[in-house]
Amino acid sequence: MAELVLRNVYKQYENTEKSWFRKKKAQKLDFAVKNLSFSCNDGEFIGILGPSGCGKTTTLRMLAGLETVTDGDIYIGETRINNLLPKDRNIGLAFEDYALYPPLTVYDNLAFNMRAKKMSNEEIQKAIDYVAPLLKVDDLLDQKPPSLSGGQKQRVNIARAIVRRPKLLLLDEPLSHLDGKMRQGMRHEIKRMHHEIKCTTIIVTHDQMEAMSLADRILIMKDGELQQMGTPMEVYDNPENEFVAGFIGEPPMNLLPSVIQKEEGTLFFTFENSPLRVEVPKRYLGILESGKKVTLGVRPMDVMVAKQTTAGSYIPIAIYENLGDERRISVRVGDSLMNMITTDNVVYERGQEVQLEFYAERTHLFDPETGKRIRAN
Amino acid sequence: MASIALENITKAFGKINALDDVSLEVKDNEFFVLFGPAGAGKTTLLKTIAGVEFPQKGLVKIDGEIVNHKEPMHRNISMVFESYALYPHMTVYDNIASPMRSKLYKKDEAHIRRQVERVTKMMQIDHLWERRPSQLSNGQRQRVAIGRCLVREPNAFLMDEPLAHLDAKLRHHMRGELKEMQSSFDTTTIYVTHDYMEAMSLADRIAVLNLGKIEQLGTPMEMYYTPNNEFVARLFGEPEINIFDGELTERSGELAVRAFGQAALLPVAPDAAKVLRGGEHRKVRVGIRGNDISFSFDEVPGWLRGSVYVNEPIGNKVILVADVGGVRLSLVVPNDTRAKIDQPVFLSLNMQHAIFFCAEKGTYIVRSNAAQHVSDAPGTKEEG
Repeated sequence: MAELVLRNVYKQYENTEKSWFRKKKAQKLDFAVKNLSFSCNDGEFIGILGPSGCGKTTTLRMLAGLETVTDGDIYIGETRINNLLPKDRNIGLAFEDYALYPPLTVYDNLAFNMRAKKMSNEEIQKAIDYVAPLLKVDDLLDQKPPSLSGGQKQRVNIARAIVRRPKLLLLDEPLSHLDGKMRQGMRHEIKRMHHEIKCTTIIVTHDQMEAMSLADRILIMKDGELQQMGTPMEVYDNPENEFVAGFIGEPPMNLLPSVIQKEEGTLFFTFENSPLRVEVPKRYLGILESGKKVTLGVRPMDVMVAKQTTAGSYIPIAIYENLGDERRISVRVGDSLMNMITTDNVVYERGQEVQLEFYAERTHLFDPETGKRIRAN
Repeated sequence: MASIALENITKAFGKINALDDVSLEVKDNEFFVLFGPAGAGKTTLLKTIAGVEFPQKGLVKIDGEIVNHKEPMHRNISMVFESYALYPHMTVYDNIASPMRSKLYKKDEAHIRRQVERVTKMMQIDHLWERRPSQLSNGQRQRVAIGRCLVREPNAFLMDEPLAHLDAKLRHHMRGELKEMQSSFDTTTIYVTHDYMEAMSLADRIAVLNLGKIEQLGTPMEMYYTPNNEFVARLFGEPEINIFDGELTERSGELAVRAFGQAALLPVAPDAAKVLRGGEHRKVRVGIRGNDISFSFDEVPGWLRGSVYVNEPIGNKVILVADVGGVRLSLVVPNDTRAKIDQPVFLSLNMQHAIFFCAEKGTYIVRSNAAQHVSDAPGTKEEG
């Protein structure tokens, strides 16, 4: 019904700066969004994730009709919406700042758009009765925005966006104004709300944790281009490139520049200015040869202190941290720090020399030039 | 190097008490962290030590000497700013040398050179002498900023949220860098943060501040394993500790907790039971961390019954929030766990690791094996 499809969408802003004596020719800027195509199914929750300036908010604004589309098509269901006015698109929008009407009560804020559409009072009442408990604003209906906390305001804001049952709900960084604890709770509420109304939802965020925990699928963007799209675990387990690998996961994946060297018939990953040597797992043997440069990616969970003596070299622990929930070790590999999360109950000391063991199956290789993933045969 | 003592410091801005009768002592050479939520009074306390704010009541002592009326510049304290505040037009060498070229601390150039050599070697930036700040990485800039503070051999070293403005990824990296060079500071350090991981990782001791008062003073492990009250317990750990109401009952001679309105009883460890029995408690609050709850999607007799409220895959683990009789419990489960919202889930709480709080005041009563957790727990050994 409300499947959303983007086909080869481009957005280019124009710098239309004018001076008082002469109209300057509009200057074309770089593409803010480049050749973006994706589709999301009815009822799906999509997260658009990326650092600032990656084009994620521009994409959302094009969907909402707040920006024109330079090239390409956007469809909701069968309808091409490129040239529809925002009000005709049947879209619910919630921005990071709440934009509630301060002199109106929460009830009137929720009812505002419906009254503008000349809906009857009974219909309005019915719609609000349905939405208010979903976002736990039913106790707040008589209050006015200035007396609400940030989290409550955002709940009202989202309730207002969904009260008219839009085909598509767009959320632009809805949690970034809230503090840590409240953000966590709000995340749960949004997820429950989506589970209840099953409205196709797109959330834009720069916080990978937020995207991972909320979305059915995540789009990762950088410099206006789509880097990868997949379920949270797909992008976590199989990142397409170095950027995605480093962006998803906390603490981030270790990405170590390495050179392959052959010693006594065995291939090793070696690292500049470091005694560390890691045996090349069997699955990579067909594609690597001595002298090749690769970036070795390994998540902090997937490298550990070896229990038994291995062929690898000893390396001193640079940092040992006990964070209560988990313990972390870091070692110096050349100029960078490699992080590990330990699960054993051994107390390590700074400077202690240990051998490392890598989960061969969970290592990733990237081309140091292009950043693209190198696949094992 | 010096010890710093604060005695009964009170500072009010208008009617609001920013600091309310705060006393603490920072030992010589200690890495001391002031930790708390926004508005707790952390920065005000730091400024009081620096001499930028004056307390209405109480004493500030450096090495036993009262310094309340000393100007900041005479206290020989240096401060690292969040933005590092390096001189952009000066080289690394000149930046680090700058405090020794000021009127007050004027030294001859030969001495300056020796000091810069010492500090840059320690910070591992001795190959960067000729660079300007714009040619440095973030980590190197931080090292220069810290080096510039250390070069003077100050009495104490104050850092106000030096990592707060960085994004999560960089903050993680910089915390590591800071931790690594920490042992080479050799200076009393007071560090302000609102990030519990920074506090736990870096601190010898932590003071938890809330609304101008100290809630708890102790080592990171004391904070984590034996928090003074529910407030402190909630600050440490991710996901937040679960705290729920329980009622103590005797079951065939053993103390147990009834909770969530369910038939399943939660056993109390014998040493904790002894304390609880002695204290006339009938109602308690029970704290249990997400790592200490086991789960099953198939029914297990004797386990708590609940339903999945939400589940959040966050990469290396999944946070599963279960609704048990109207109470939400967060637990950490393996990252290949798939759960549907509202599906039934069965939970078992590892009551050996439960923390008991007073039902009325929310203060700490007891946890099983507390001493062992705090002292011998893995990772509590001093480094180096």
